[in-house]
Amino acid sequence: MKTVLVITFALLSVATFAAQENYQFDTVEQQVLFKELTATLRCPMCQNQNIADSDAMIAHDMRRKVFQLISQGQDHEQIVSFMKSRYGDFVYYQPPVTRTTIWLWVLPIFVVLLGFVVVLRRTPHSLPAQDEQAALAKAQALLDEDK
Amino acid sequence: MQNKLKFAVPLVFFLGLCLFLFQGLFSDPQARDAMTLDRPMPEFALPDLMQPEITYTQDVFKGKVTLLNVWGVWCVTCQVELPYLTALSEQGVQIVGLYYDQDLDPDFGIKTLARVQQEVIDITDRLGNPFAYNIFDVYRDTSLDLGVTGAPESLLIDQNGIIRVHHIGDVNNRVWQNKFADVYAELTSQTITGVEEK
Repeated sequence: MKTVLVITFALLSVATFAAQENYQFDTVEQQVLFKELTATLRCPMCQNQNIADSDAMIAHDMRRKVFQLISQGQDHEQIVSFMKSRYGDFVYYQPPVTRTTIWLWVLPIFVVLLGFVVVLRRTPHSLPAQDEQAALAKAQALLDEDK
Repeated sequence: MQNKLKFAVPLVFFLGLCLFLFQGLFSDPQARDAMTLDRPMPEFALPDLMQPEITYTQDVFKGKVTLLNVWGVWCVTCQVELPYLTALSEQGVQIVGLYYDQDLDPDFGIKTLARVQQEVIDITDRLGNPFAYNIFDVYRDTSLDLGVTGAPESLLIDQNGIIRVHHIGDVNNRVWQNKFADVYAELTSQTITGVEEK
């Protein structure tokens, strides 16, 4: 039974490996750069997948283009700007700081600061002064009543 | 007063959040500003699909307002828009195809050019042929330079070879009227009066 299960899972796992082209790089650095770029460039066709993961035709084409540009000796910066000039800032997972996107950084800090202000300014809830003796006497009276 | 404000602030915040998220329900996650707008056609040198000995460059668009339609026979939506594009071309709109094929992957090519040509002829015979000619984007490099994410996409190129409209998706009457018609009318009127825009 166990063997059958193991074989079944082994067979299932074969079907899940992603389609990958075999690109030959001259140096290890180029291969590392390729991995890094395909992981950080976003597929413009698909919902939130990088081009390394996506099987869309555009992702294939972009991977091929990244490979070509790396082979031509272009660096990380140049390839990212090549893609940005065609597909916009959307294509790169690190958004640039602009007037609209600055809120992504400012807002969380603002909320944390606001939290501090709220906590610090909160006046401690003062309990109404109780006449402990009277309360105890009252309790004792109730206990006596129960007897 | 202080108390009322305490209630109002979360309420206003909540309503604002609702409005923001409500808008999101109707936004198109694929919609993005095209980077190509108001820029010249990228440089290219590509063969004609039917007569590969003819080579086109970006200069082919100079002098005439052109609707460049990115398409392929494998694309179902492209087939939907073919009859409408044919009607447009019959009204005198110059339509040029930028053809790219899915299977003809340059690295793993399995389809012959003759077969691609036959498929194109079959489909244009059946649904109408709006194209003055088809530019064959063999390696899909020009599509990439144009920021094309899929097919169909349509670009309106003015007589100076500048891209004026970039539309993702099919062209139908509504899209043409809303997105293309005004720009097209403006551009073509310039041709008639001979005023060339610099």
